Amino acid sequence: MIEFEALKANSLDEALDVLVEKKDKVKMVSGGTDMLVQIHHESEDLKGMNFLLDISSIPGLGGIEDKGKYMKLGALCTHNEIIDSQLVNEKLQILQQAAQVIGSTQIRNRGTVGGNINNASPAADLVTALIALEASVVLQSKHEKRELSLSEFVTGPYCTDRNEDEIMTEVKVPYIQGEYFENYQKVKRRQAVAIARINLAVITKIKNNRFDDIRVVFGSATPTAMRFRDIEKKINGTELAEINYEKLAQKTGQEMIGFTGERWSTPYKKPVVGNLLKRALRNIVKEVQ
Amino acid sequence: MKKANINLIVNGKEYKITVEPDERLLDTLRDRLHLTGVKEGCSIGECGACTVILDGKAVNSCMVYSFQIDGSEVLTVEGLETNGKLDPLQEAFIDHQAVQCGFCTPGMLMSAKALLKENPYPERTEIKTAIEGNLCRCTGYQQIVEAIESVVKNKD
Repeated sequence: MIEFEALKANSLDEALDVLVEKKDKVKMVSGGTDMLVQIHHESEDLKGMNFLLDISSIPGLGGIEDKGKYMKLGALCTHNEIIDSQLVNEKLQILQQAAQVIGSTQIRNRGTVGGNINNASPAADLVTALIALEASVVLQSKHEKRELSLSEFVTGPYCTDRNEDEIMTEVKVPYIQGEYFENYQKVKRRQAVAIARINLAVITKIKNNRFDDIRVVFGSATPTAMRFRDIEKKINGTELAEINYEKLAQKTGQEMIGFTGERWSTPYKKPVVGNLLKRALRNIVKEVQ
Repeated sequence: MKKANINLIVNGKEYKITVEPDERLLDTLRDRLHLTGVKEGCSIGECGACTVILDGKAVNSCMVYSFQIDGSEVLTVEGLETNGKLDPLQEAFIDHQAVQCGFCTPGMLMSAKALLKENPYPERTEIKTAIEGNLCRCTGYQQIVEAIESVVKNKD
């Protein structure tokens, strides 16, 4: 059994003080949808944890705001807040599509954006979409505030660049301007409460009937969700009607193996990443026409 | 803190409770307040048997520590009945034979209750989404969905 002392922060300053004082002995919790499972399973990652700091009541860390060029998602904003947000619905629908396939109603009511990112599961549903949207994250420590791109922040499976004295306060999601189309795909073992076998976010501009500035991000296919740049290069500039789906599908599988090497899951994942990309592109083409 | 003093309103009644750091809302409800309608199934947020309504939202009470929710309001299946009269959802579950072994029933009812509070006229798909986090090992989903639907229809 993991034994810990419970701490509750009522302000950001209070929480930052605790982080400075307790260092690697403290873990943070808000929605708890990952943390309580890890504690229940006595996860190795929690070895040495003596304190659990609840940050769920810190004012100012939640909410969704329009900041002109970008949308600010407070780290404590829940998945259902994203789904219910008029602003997200109008401006960044792919985020909504990603949030909708997370867990169950109960989990979406508690789980937070900050938690989904900081847990850094390669299968995290929001992360795939947020990387495609070129989101960045803001980290606050006692004396410093820094911002870095989400792809830099997630450094490996369940690993991030967060220093032990830092709290993620917000996620900045730049708006996509103009004729962009989005599609989100998730393969899972069952409809609800399922971790993604593979997920995919595709965002692309369509200019003169050609793909432009396409972003193809797979989750759960590589150690962290990442852009498949080779595939993006192949698609950019191609006319919608001239897309060779079969060839692209094959190349997608190859690009994945380039990152991961041949693994036990490769015979399954190689064709599936290709098929998912085909499905996403076909949906986008259908939507354009 | 080794232990935390919290205030909760559970089923309309105020409680001052001292809880352990690792005490989940599920434990507080069952072991301290003896509200055993809240069931423990998987303990990891997959089965929904422990679903309660926390500040208006359906949550898995196995995934919330009690020390986190000082000042909150909780509704459990025991709180559905008013003045000795069952909630229309409870009546509908009986009428539609939406109960077999009964273990999932409290969680199903609370998920349905939370849905109807927010959306009094849900579509069938919305009902299914609302209970997607509740497993019924007897697989009686059809009757459960029909029971919830009947409450929606009877509102007219």
